[in-house]
Amino acid sequence: MLMRFISHACALRKRGQTVMAAAEKPTKGKLLAALDDIEVLSRELIEMLALSRTQKLPQPGEDTEILELLVQRDKEFQELMQTAVEQGKVHQEMQALEKEVEKRDSDIQQLQKQLKEAEHILATAVYQAKEKLKYIEKARKGSISSEELIKYAHRISASNAVCAPLNWVPGDPRRPYPTDLEMRSGILGNMSNMSTNGVNGHLPGDALAAGRLPDILTPQYPWQSADVSMGILPPHHGSDFGLEPPGHNKENEDDVEAMSTDSSSSSSDSD
Amino acid sequence: IISGAIYQEQARHRFQLELEFVQCLANPNYLNFLAQRGYLREKPFVNYLKYLLYWKEPEYAKFLKYPHCLHMLELLQYEHFRKELVNAQCTKFIDEQQILHWQHYSRKRTRLQQALVEQQQQHQPQAPSHGNTTSK
Repeated sequence: MLMRFISHACALRKRGQTVMAAAEKPTKGKLLAALDDIEVLSRELIEMLALSRTQKLPQPGEDTEILELLVQRDKEFQELMQTAVEQGKVHQEMQALEKEVEKRDSDIQQLQKQLKEAEHILATAVYQAKEKLKYIEKARKGSISSEELIKYAHRISASNAVCAPLNWVPGDPRRPYPTDLEMRSGILGNMSNMSTNGVNGHLPGDALAAGRLPDILTPQYPWQSADVSMGILPPHHGSDFGLEPPGHNKENEDDVEAMSTDSSSSSSDSD
Repeated sequence: IISGAIYQEQARHRFQLELEFVQCLANPNYLNFLAQRGYLREKPFVNYLKYLLYWKEPEYAKFLKYPHCLHMLELLQYEHFRKELVNAQCTKFIDEQQILHWQHYSRKRTRLQQALVEQQQQHQPQAPSHGNTTSK
């Protein structure tokens, strides 16, 4: 009866193993199962030996069967132990390798960080160097000899073009711009009769009639002539200014807003 | 086909013209005149004004006797400014401000001289007769 229980239990376990055939039964489980078997078998054997003192064996040969099963289970157990030991070694190796991998990973991350930092620093340095070069170029382009600057400053100051004469009073005809008298005496003035209504209250006929401005013999004012023997020419341009020039138009309304706030009658809304 | 010499001669003439014209822009009354006759509304004229900006370069600017014209030229690039110039009150205001600015350094110099005279009079209170000769 007990034998039937044992064989039944073994059959059940084997069935359980085939059900879980896809997942390998862990060694620990196998070991525990084997231990259970051994425990059961040895208990049975001991019971039988204890009973055989008082009564006869119900089934002859049962004790040898149990013994054989016990030996078999013991052998299984030993094999499983061996496997367990080997598995333990492998597991240890795996852990060591994992640690190694972790270390390498962190090394790589560290290097990555440093590389990124170096790239950032280099990029900043290159950018600043480029800016510097740009400014150097700009400064070089705008460099003018101090002598020339002083000469020019003297020229525009001596003629009272940028600084009023010290004895100037309201009523003095001198101005910081060419007056219409001066304008008309130049090339432009002689080319075409531009003013018909008169500018600054002067009519063109007045001066002529009074004989003060003979057309041809008017002196040239210094602002109209330039030392053209230096060979400077105006920049080349196509003759048609009707075409749109390249570049954007400066339609920046905000800058000019402040100018017209004082002129009372001008409308503030744009068309 | 224009030969090189003729082109140069024409270019020199054009240089003189443009030198005169750009400096005329320093005159607010002239600007008012141009605005009222509608020149400032014409697209080719506006393009011409933009072309004239080459006078800002140092190699050209050194020929300008009336540098105020460059400031006016810059302002003329803005449509808003060109529109405002039609208004005679506006250009009168510009004229007044321009003349006041023109007198700025003279006034400053006069003030400095007065301050100097006062200082010297403080140092030498015993000799009033010498005080008047310090003013130039």
